[in-house]
Amino acid sequence: MALIVFDSVSKAYSGKAVLHDFSLSIEHGQRMAILGPSGCGKTTVLRLLAGFIAPDTGSISIDDEIVANNGKILQQPEQRHIGMVFQDLALWPHLTVAENVEFGLKAQGIPKSERTERIKEILELVEMHSYLRARPAQLSGGQQQRVALARALVLQPKALLMDEPLSNLDDELNQHLRGELLRLHAQLGFTLLYVTHDRAEASEIGTRIVRMRHGSIERIVASGEEPRRQMEIKRSF
Amino acid sequence: MFARSLTVNGAFSLENYQHLLATGRSWQLLTNSLGLALTTAVICTIVGLPLGLLFAKTDLPLRRVFVLLFALPLVIPPYITAVSWAEMLAPHGLASGFFGEATARKLSGLLFGLPGCVLVLTTTFVPAVMLATMTFVRTINPRLEEAARLSARPLRVLSGITIPLIWPGVLLATTLVFLLALGEFGVPTFLRYSVFAVESFTQFTVSYNFGAATAAAVPLALLTFVILGIEWFVLRDKIQPLRPAGDDDAYLVPLRSYRVSLFVLVSILCALLVITPLMSLLLQAGSMQSYVRALHVVIDSLIRSLFIAAVGATALTVLGFFIGYLVHTRALPIWRAADAGTVLLFALPGTVIGMGLIAFWNHAATNLIYATPLIIVFGYLAQYTALTGRVTVGSLSLVPASMEEAAASAGANWMRRLGLIVLPLIRNALVVGWLIAYIFCLRDTGITMLVYPPGYDTLPVRIFTLMANGAPPLIAATCVLMIAATVLPLLGIAALMRTQRRRSWR
Repeated sequence: MALIVFDSVSKAYSGKAVLHDFSLSIEHGQRMAILGPSGCGKTTVLRLLAGFIAPDTGSISIDDEIVANNGKILQQPEQRHIGMVFQDLALWPHLTVAENVEFGLKAQGIPKSERTERIKEILELVEMHSYLRARPAQLSGGQQQRVALARALVLQPKALLMDEPLSNLDDELNQHLRGELLRLHAQLGFTLLYVTHDRAEASEIGTRIVRMRHGSIERIVASGEEPRRQMEIKRSF
Repeated sequence: MFARSLTVNGAFSLENYQHLLATGRSWQLLTNSLGLALTTAVICTIVGLPLGLLFAKTDLPLRRVFVLLFALPLVIPPYITAVSWAEMLAPHGLASGFFGEATARKLSGLLFGLPGCVLVLTTTFVPAVMLATMTFVRTINPRLEEAARLSARPLRVLSGITIPLIWPGVLLATTLVFLLALGEFGVPTFLRYSVFAVESFTQFTVSYNFGAATAAAVPLALLTFVILGIEWFVLRDKIQPLRPAGDDDAYLVPLRSYRVSLFVLVSILCALLVITPLMSLLLQAGSMQSYVRALHVVIDSLIRSLFIAAVGATALTVLGFFIGYLVHTRALPIWRAADAGTVLLFALPGTVIGMGLIAFWNHAATNLIYATPLIIVFGYLAQYTALTGRVTVGSLSLVPASMEEAAASAGANWMRRLGLIVLPLIRNALVVGWLIAYIFCLRDTGITMLVYPPGYDTLPVRIFTLMANGAPPLIAATCVLMIAATVLPLLGIAALMRTQRRRSWR
C-alpha cells in the first residue's frame, strides 16, 4: 500500500512551471531517490510534501488522506508527521544540540521524562550523545549532519525527506554518512525520499530512482538499473 | 568640550561640576532623563516588535500601507509630532470635539510633562524598532523556520525560533531608541519637561554660560559611553550576519481567523498614533491662505534647509562609503576605531556635538567654517556618518569578495575596481543611504540650533522659533510644509527607483 501519492501535481512560480503533471507513489519503508539536474523541480517535490507550499493543481495524499489539493493546504506541516533534513541543514544556531532535538518533542506536547529518554536514545543512535550542550557552530560538518538527522528522526516521522544533505561534504565523509544513513534505515525502517543530483549517491541510497527533467518524471528505475543504463549511454558514444 | 567644562575664566576649576552636583536639581535631571529614555525604549519595543512581526511575517491586509504610515513620524522632526498632539488636545482641537472641552483640557495637562514626552517620542521611535524587526526577520534563513514548522504551530515557531534569532537586533534598536530619547531636547523643551539635554541647551542659549552648559552635557556623554559599552558587551558576535532576502521563499504565517481582528486593532493604533495628530495639524492650518502665508514667511529657510540637507546627505554618502568600505575590508588597522567612533558620535546627543563643534571651531583662524553653513554640514558629518557607513557595510556584505578579486586579477587598480565594480553593485544601497542621511539632516535641530550662523537658520530652527510667538495656524501650516519637504522627495526617489527596477526586469 502506498504511503505517499502525488496525483497529477503541477506547480509554477511567477508563471514559470516548475512541476508539470507529476504523479508518483511511494510505498511504506521504501528508499526512493529523486535524481535530476538543478532546477528540475526535485526540491519542489519535497516542499510540497512537507506542506510548505500548495500544488496549483492535482493532489497529494499521505496514508490515504489528502493533505493538499488544487492550491489548498488541507493539512499543515506539523500535522503531517514528516521529517526533513535540509540542504543547508537549518540547525538553529541559538539552541544546543539537545535543544535542537527537543524542540519538536516539546511542540508536540511530549512529557519531560519521555523527551529526555528519546533525546538520549536518538543521539546515541547517531553517536552524538557526548555533544548534548554543544552549539551547532561548535560542530564539524559531519557532526552537524548527524544532529540534523537526529532532529528529524526523533519525532518518529512517517517519512524522512532529505534535500541533497551530503552535497557540501568531502567524498570520504559523504561515503561514510551514506553508510550511516543506510544503517539507520535498516534499524528504524522509515520511508525515505532522498533528493540528489549525484547518480552514485542515488544508486546507493535509493531502492528506486526517479529521474526528473524539466519538472516531469523522465523514468523510474530500480537501483541496479541506473549504473547499467549509464554505461550503455557511454558505450553509445 | 570636556576641557572647557573644567575651566572658569581661563583657569582650571571644578566649579561648574560643583555647582551642577551641589543642587538637588542635577539628580532630578538625571532621574527625568533616564526615566524618559527608559520608558520610551521599553514601550517602543513592546509596540514595535509585534508590529514588525505582523508586517514582515504575516498575511495581514494592507501591511505595506501600514508600514509607510507607521514610519512617517520617524522622518519628521519629533517636536512637530508634539505640536500635532498639542493642537489635537487644544481647547478647539479634535479631542475637544470628540470628548468635550473638560476632558481635552485634562488630557492636555497630561501632555505637558513625562506622559506627553513619552507619547510623542514613542510615536516617533516605534518605527525604528518596527523597521529593525522587519529587517532582521527578513534576513533569517527561511529554512530555519520551515524546519520548526514540521513539528510546531506558527506561534510556537515565532516564540521559539524567530524571536530568539532576531532578539539581539531588536535589543540593538531598543538601545538606539534609548540613546535618541536621552539626547532629545526639542520635545522636552516644547512640553516643558526638564532633562539634561534641555538644561545644557538652556545654559548655553539663555545664560551663555559655556562652562556650565558643557558640564551639563558631560553626564549625557558619559551615559552614552556606558550604554554603548554595555551594548557591545552583551551583543558582541550575537547579531546574525545579513543575507539577501528573497520575497518568493519568505515564510509567512497565515493569520486565518485573527486576520480581521488584528487588522482592526492595527488600524485603530495607526489612526491614534499617526493619522489623528497629523489630521489635527491640517485642520489647524485651515485654508490655503495659511500655507501661502507660511510659505512667504519661511521660504528662505525652506530653500536653505533643502540645500544644506542635500549637500550634507551627499557628503555623508561619500564619507560613509569610504568608512563602510574600510570597516568591511578591514584594509587599515584603524577600521575598528573608525567604526566605533562613528557609532559613538551618532549616539551622542546633538546638543553635545553642537557644543563640541563650537568649542573646537569657534576661533578667528577657523572662521571660514564657523561663520558659514559649512559648520552645519560638519555637524551632520560628525553625527550621522554611522548611518551611511552602516548602510555601506550592510550592502557590501551581500557582494561576494570574488567580484572585486576578479577585477583585480583582470588588472584593474583600486580606483577602477571601486568605480566599475563595487559602486555599481551597491548603487541602490547608496541611494537608500543618501535618503536616510537627507531625512536626518533635514529634521536635525540639536546641532543646527546651536551652530547655525546668523542669517542661515534652517526650517526646523525657524519653526522652533515660531513656536514661541507665532499664530497657531501659521505654525501648523509651516509644520505641514516641513512634512511635505521631507516626504515628497522620498516619494519621488522611491518612484524613480521603482521605475528603474521595472525597466531592469524587462
